[in-house]
Amino acid sequence: MTSSDALAGHTFEELSDYLDRDRTPADPSIDGSPECQIALRGMQRLRNTHRALLKKDVERESEREDSWVNSILQHINLEARAGRDIPISHPSPSARLIVTEGAVRGILRAAGDSVPNIIVGRCHLDGDVSVPGAPVIVRVDATVLEGEIIPSLADQLRESVYAALSQHTELAVEAVDITIRDLYQVPAPAPVKASSDE
Amino acid sequence: MPTTRAPLASPLESFSDQVLADRAADGDVRAFEVLVRRYGPLMRVYASRVLGSNDEMDDVVQESFITAWQQLPTLDNGAAVKSWLMRIVSRKSVDRIRARRPHVNIDLTDAPTPERHSPDRLAEAESQTEALTRALADIPEDQRRCWMLRELAECSYGEIAEELELPVSTVRGLLARARKTLLQEMEEWR
Repeated sequence: MTSSDALAGHTFEELSDYLDRDRTPADPSIDGSPECQIALRGMQRLRNTHRALLKKDVERESEREDSWVNSILQHINLEARAGRDIPISHPSPSARLIVTEGAVRGILRAAGDSVPNIIVGRCHLDGDVSVPGAPVIVRVDATVLEGEIIPSLADQLRESVYAALSQHTELAVEAVDITIRDLYQVPAPAPVKASSDE
Repeated sequence: MPTTRAPLASPLESFSDQVLADRAADGDVRAFEVLVRRYGPLMRVYASRVLGSNDEMDDVVQESFITAWQQLPTLDNGAAVKSWLMRIVSRKSVDRIRARRPHVNIDLTDAPTPERHSPDRLAEAESQTEALTRALADIPEDQRRCWMLRELAECSYGEIAEELELPVSTVRGLLARARKTLLQEMEEWR
């Protein structure tokens, strides 16, 4: 390659950095220099060649059998997400029934998934859920399909959450706070594995 | 992208990284499975490049996902789950190499040079990627890690600096040097 004098006073490092910044803000002393343009084109060619290689490699790995996925799923520790124990009353004094906080989050997600065009993300139970009858505030993050009427979807979600919790738990739900964090668009086909462009 | 696998019967596949990471952090195994399928292949490629072979790739990727599952609740920005996962697999791969040869300086060289094919048999494009693969195996370890975190993992300079415990200025320099060498090697092949 070239020394910095041959790069219109710029170093290769500066050009590399410029490429990573997507050439913004535009620098006329780089954009106007044929030597810099040659160096940048070289780096771009390197990147393109690498992407072609990566795409091929990732495709090959994507076509492998599923055994590795199953092996991973078998090894993760589900207990890690159990959270607190939430008591459920029972007529027999010797019986102790509980539902885990993790299971309740699962119930909240399922309740959310039953409402079209809204996706539930993280869920929190604020309050002392281990004490029967203690007031609990349910906080749910959700994402809504672009173009939907947000208040109406949030109401539907809230109703669905109340119904599911009263059916499966004895939590004294004081409020269901829903935060719409984001909007999503109609799902794109397959997710891009090796991204083509930044 | 063509695939031989049957698609999951779940709309989860179309969910954003943010939603999947949030749900997985809350214990949704199916959301985690979609992340495994979405980024597992890239992580496998990453591991095999660092390790220089496929023998230990399955183990390293599995360890990475087990760690990811444990630590997902601490990930603040679920939208950044891809580069977060790539950083985990990068770390696990390097750990594996260090465990393999504890007394060898990792900066010397680790990945073996891939098998060469006779150049005249290969089309231009193929010889270019071939040359790149070979050149990548030859550059110093710190430059390679830096370059891979940038080009495969799509980490920002700041993330790379944090990961390698180096100043951002050093990361910038290593990246430029890696590119310069790789480019030279690749051009010589033309």
